[in-house]
Amino acid sequence: MSLRNRTRLLTEELRTAVRLLLEGAPVMVLPVVTALLLAMPVVLPGFHVSLLARTLLFAVFAAAFNLLYGYTGLLSFGHAMFVAAAGYSAAKVFNVVGPMLPFGGVTPLVTLLLAIVVGVAVAGIFAVLIGYLAVQLEEIYFALITLSFSMAIYTLANQDIPGQVLAAVGFGDGGFTNGSDGLAFFIGKVNLFGFEFRLVDLTNPVAFYVLTVFVFVFAVYGLWRVVNSPFGMVCKAIRENPERAKAVGVDVTYHRWMTFVISGLFSGLAGAMLVISGGGVDPQKHVYWTASAEPVVMSVIGGPLSFVGPIVGAFTYEYVRWGISRVPLLEEYWQFSFGMLILVVVLFFENGVAGGLEAGYARLRAWLPVAAKRYRADGWRGVLAFVGETVAGWLAAARETIQAYAARVRDGVRGYLVRVRELVGG
Amino acid sequence: MVDRRRFLAAAGAGATAGVAGCLGGNGGGDGGDDGTITLGAVYLLSGVGEQLGASSRAAVEVAVEEINENGGIMGREVETFFRDHGSDPQSQIRSLVQEEGADVMVGLTSSGVTLNSGEVIRQLGVPFTLTDIGTPFITESDTDTYGDYYQGNGTAAAVPNLFRTNANTSINCYAIAKWVDDNYGSARIANMGPDYAYGQQCWDYFKAYSDGLGVDHEYVASAFPELGANDMTPQINQVLDTDPDLLFTSFWGNDVVTFVGQANEQNLFEQVDDVFDTIGSDPSSFEALGDSMPEGLHYSGWYWGSAFDNEENEAFLDSYESTYEGTGVNPYPSFTGGSSYAAPYVYKQAIEAAGGTDPDDIVAEMEGLEFTGPRGTWTLDPDSHQATAPTVIGETSLDADVPYDGVGLVNAETYSLDRSAAEDLLSDSDLPPGV
Repeated sequence: MSLRNRTRLLTEELRTAVRLLLEGAPVMVLPVVTALLLAMPVVLPGFHVSLLARTLLFAVFAAAFNLLYGYTGLLSFGHAMFVAAAGYSAAKVFNVVGPMLPFGGVTPLVTLLLAIVVGVAVAGIFAVLIGYLAVQLEEIYFALITLSFSMAIYTLANQDIPGQVLAAVGFGDGGFTNGSDGLAFFIGKVNLFGFEFRLVDLTNPVAFYVLTVFVFVFAVYGLWRVVNSPFGMVCKAIRENPERAKAVGVDVTYHRWMTFVISGLFSGLAGAMLVISGGGVDPQKHVYWTASAEPVVMSVIGGPLSFVGPIVGAFTYEYVRWGISRVPLLEEYWQFSFGMLILVVVLFFENGVAGGLEAGYARLRAWLPVAAKRYRADGWRGVLAFVGETVAGWLAAARETIQAYAARVRDGVRGYLVRVRELVGG
Repeated sequence: MVDRRRFLAAAGAGATAGVAGCLGGNGGGDGGDDGTITLGAVYLLSGVGEQLGASSRAAVEVAVEEINENGGIMGREVETFFRDHGSDPQSQIRSLVQEEGADVMVGLTSSGVTLNSGEVIRQLGVPFTLTDIGTPFITESDTDTYGDYYQGNGTAAAVPNLFRTNANTSINCYAIAKWVDDNYGSARIANMGPDYAYGQQCWDYFKAYSDGLGVDHEYVASAFPELGANDMTPQINQVLDTDPDLLFTSFWGNDVVTFVGQANEQNLFEQVDDVFDTIGSDPSSFEALGDSMPEGLHYSGWYWGSAFDNEENEAFLDSYESTYEGTGVNPYPSFTGGSSYAAPYVYKQAIEAAGGTDPDDIVAEMEGLEFTGPRGTWTLDPDSHQATAPTVIGETSLDADVPYDGVGLVNAETYSLDRSAAEDLLSDSDLPPGV
């Protein structure tokens, strides 16, 4: 086989892999992704294994959030409430239930699994109750009621009102959420067949990472099945036009409620894992509205209209934030640096980074044959010239976008000035 | 339809590309071997705590600059990395140690974050010195008496490689309780503070120490505006309605400015005899308030320039002022100035005594280390890891010698507290001494 043929074959295989990934055929892609992810600790140092684990968990959180936002058209601004519900439950399992379990060396592992199960269950209960009330509203009112509920939960946790209530009825000493300090817990060492290891170990985080990969794959597959089922189709119908969905016989409110519950369960799963990996839960970090903003920002950056959008968004968010932290000058003004990035995404990409990647891929597919033609005609010089033309084309397009945006701003300001002049003059 | 062979080929190609991509993107992770000593620092450098975190950073930078000008540590230059808490402070701590290769760490501007970072700091094993943290729990090592914080059944949260150079809430509230007892005796006292653990804890410790001292105060009111609140008027009026003699407050940072401004509007300072604050002695707040800050109030903090009369203090004040004069940073050190400035010097002393940067050796040298600096001579307690450094309480005055327009402290007094005295005074409460 000639070199050119081999290269062509490899390009084709790569292209197939990318297409599979983009078209989201998880039955094919998931085993590959799982194997890839499981291989990561071999090449990544400890810190990066943890960063990847955190990113995967945020990807689950954002994808669960997006089930409600991108697929059903409901913007929840209080999704941190599920992280809190699951996180506080998990902390309680570690601190209260864990010491009572009689499983010897595997007790920490049993406690951890129990913490996840209890966390998800409690998040589910919250989702059922709060969801029922919230889905009675839509649009901005839905965003506000979810924000209100999450901030109410923040206040309950921050002022330890459950503790005071429990003490008033005769249980405990007035401490339940430990106020603004939150709950910290310690996960002991597992002793499995003579092997002793920490489940959450900072210098060697592989054990927790492997668990995270399985949680990620399970959750993403589950969510993918949901959005590609008739249930998911109804979600999209509601997003596009609730009245019409109702007209064809969909119980819109009930369907939104069920979507809220599913979203809450998966958010609780991500939340329990995030809290366990950090060794503590506190109101400022896990319940405050800024915590609810994270999945929103990730979905918007990534592209809420595609399934992989929030996942891509979580990766973009976490790794850009990491990149900024490594450059002292950018770190000094990290919120500014981050804001600029979001601005670029909003200006130039139609459906977030995932949309940008898709568009880029489509362009590449159109570009490659032309480049090949130029190569046949003029050799490498032709390709080089074509690259130059392409870059010039991009710059022109970027200039156009910015000019169009500036023109809109200018016209807007001019319009206001005219109106002000009329007001003052008249 | 994709057949099996094609799928496997695609999978293989994808995996190769993925692994290659990772190999290319992964270089860092072992700084610190290049002859420099790396100091990592995490402070609140944005949002509600920025004023506090930024002034601690300023003092650390002055110390590091002086150390480097004088030959570094064992001839090795000190390199610093500063990070904001951001949304995940534990990850910042880890990144500094595992990516930048920090040999030693300073920082943190939130007690809650500190308590929740305990396990991370312990596992990383690198020496960590707190310079701004109030909670006494983090330097309480007696889990038998006070229960283990990390098992969810108590308040003792000491971490083997964690130290603290500032006097904490326990010492601070003792100082105010003692001062009130010595100067006013029993009184009708009201409380105001930020609505989170710090505000609650200050009030609890003040009452416990007052009770321990045997002074018979009447606690008439307690109100907690939200941290960073815009409007404290309801709480100010709630407190004034009870007609207190003295007002105890635990505001810090911009909350001091908000409180004093709105208390002025309600004529609070004419209606009470005196107002105390735990860590309000912050030049940035005093400058922002200008002459609207009343004189004759008693503000406290872990450091104030004029409270100490020694060579090291003179040198620190001079070098701080010459570094920050005409910049955005107030040229007078804040209440965390002394503890933040001390931390790099403590590391210098410990690393030179240990003869290297092995974390366990540095920790061993730090336990019981005696240090002489702007706050005089003090030691790091070998059990609790708390510095025996004093806290300061002084009177607000426009006549204070400070390089900005606004009040400073005059007649400043210092207070220290040892463990057995603290245990005696707190014996009727379940609060840990943390010293």
